Amino acid sequence: MRLKEHPILDFPAGREVVFTFDGKELRGIEGEPIAAALHASGVRVLRHSPVSGRARGFFCAIGNCSSCLMTVDGMPNVRVCTEPLKEGMVVETQKGHGHLPID
Amino acid sequence: MTDRPKRHDDDVIVCRCEDVTLGEIRRLISEGYHTIDEIKRISRAGMGQCQGRTCRHLIARELARALGVPQEEVEMPMFRPPTRPVLLSTIARGEGDE
Amino acid sequence: MRQAETTRTVNLLKEVDVAVIGAGPAGLAAALACAEAGVSTLLIDANDAPGGQLVKQTHKFFGSERQHAGTRGIQIPSLFTEKLANYPNVEIMWNTNASGFYDSGELVLEDEKRFMKILPKRMIVAAGASERFLIFRNNDLPGVYGAGAVQTLMNVYGVVPGDRVMMIGSGNIGLIVSYQLIQAGVDVAAVVEAAPCIGGYLVHAAKLRRAGVPILTSHTVLAAHGQESVTGATIAEVDKEWQPMPGTEREVECDVICLAVGLMPLVDVLWHAGCEMKYVPELGGHVPVRDENMRTSNPKVYAAGDSGGVEEASSAMVTGEIAGISAAKSLGHQAPGADARLAQLKADLAAIRSGPTGEKISAGVRCATVCGGVWE
Repeated sequence: MRLKEHPILDFPAGREVVFTFDGKELRGIEGEPIAAALHASGVRVLRHSPVSGRARGFFCAIGNCSSCLMTVDGMPNVRVCTEPLKEGMVVETQKGHGHLPID
Repeated sequence: MTDRPKRHDDDVIVCRCEDVTLGEIRRLISEGYHTIDEIKRISRAGMGQCQGRTCRHLIARELARALGVPQEEVEMPMFRPPTRPVLLSTIARGEGDE
Repeated sequence: MRQAETTRTVNLLKEVDVAVIGAGPAGLAAALACAEAGVSTLLIDANDAPGGQLVKQTHKFFGSERQHAGTRGIQIPSLFTEKLANYPNVEIMWNTNASGFYDSGELVLEDEKRFMKILPKRMIVAAGASERFLIFRNNDLPGVYGAGAVQTLMNVYGVVPGDRVMMIGSGNIGLIVSYQLIQAGVDVAAVVEAAPCIGGYLVHAAKLRRAGVPILTSHTVLAAHGQESVTGATIAEVDKEWQPMPGTEREVECDVICLAVGLMPLVDVLWHAGCEMKYVPELGGHVPVRDENMRTSNPKVYAAGDSGGVEEASSAMVTGEIAGISAAKSLGHQAPGADARLAQLKADLAAIRSGPTGEKISAGVRCATVCGGVWE
């Protein structure tokens, strides 16, 4: 959920962009971390852990841990807590260690 | 394998990159792996994408507890570059411009 | 095979007087001090804007005017960058990470595209801190967040973490973030604290009490519940040995568990540089042994802010400036009045660390400072 009113802060209205999450079309604000956009749309499970397949989400927000690694535009292990959202990004839940894109 | 009574928090994840549990850390300590580096090499705890930033202090605390020593006596692992994961393309590109 | 890439693999070694790692409160203050002293300064940060964790601190600072008391944390970074912009001897690199420091004295930077080798005469490490994690069942479920993450999500991007939060830890961060959650319209179920008393300032605790939030001291979290994300938690009372007491367990309804159980200094590059390190629990973990000018056992390397021991943003600005003035001075450069300023800063630091909450920090700092306060 996004805040509309805050006693101290103003959130400048950024440009809205469309991206996909596991094939579903979602909207977010350009330049905000992908994780923030997903969170605002109610998505909390970002990956499944490599060995036991446990659900993992947003945790440290500063690119320090490995909780939020997702596959973005085919590239695995992207830290979505710091990666800025761009128009048309293809974001996917990552299962396990991820696969390198081959082209 | 050493017999070790099961504890209530054995299945808690300590290293989230490699899914290593507290029970596994305890089993390794009871088998004689008594430094963070030894535990890392045998279990991969601390060898994942975060390079031990989340789990290192938890493993150190468990070692201190199990060995009955203050935590400052637990030897820290080697810290090697790079400090954060690097893309293979960055390594291949080296110091180039594009 | 793209030919262009191979031909571009040239040696880009750049020399600089002082490299400052991290542009949070400590790094900004260090870089400004170096700028004023007239040394060539390279400030690098992994983010795309200055301030480090100041960008989410919406509360007003306490203390002395010299450390921006009365100003909100979010307003401080621009005060520094406006001044830094006047100095042609300062270069700033955003989105750049300090990847490693080598015995040759080379600092390797990386921006997710390429590596860059820098040869700094002095290096100031102001990399900040990372959040401590806690052991309880299902601690890795989505919905368990570090307090810093909740603050970032909410105060920087305007996204609330959930509907009902249980805060673990009653230090200043736990108390302030709880209050900020309430300001943002989020329910705070309780603040849970393992110690028998509240860790942070009573002013912050009083605000929560007035808002009707229970602060449960001598309590800990035993488990998070839920399959794919948090739907609740079990908490219990702890005894004097910090062990949960059987029969005291109870369920708390929440969809977010926020961990504010302390920070650990980020010191990787200091380990690379071979600095003598010491485990000082009062300062959050392993910290560099330093002299009173923030110089480490490696004479080319200084530490500042949380990298030297976890404190607050106000003390980070002071240790940053001390490190900056001292690093420049060791290269034979100083701004007019620098010695008087240095003495003033040391007095400011003592004042910040006075008072009941400063006692622990002061003990830690004494423990981490080289015998006699100076090397050799």
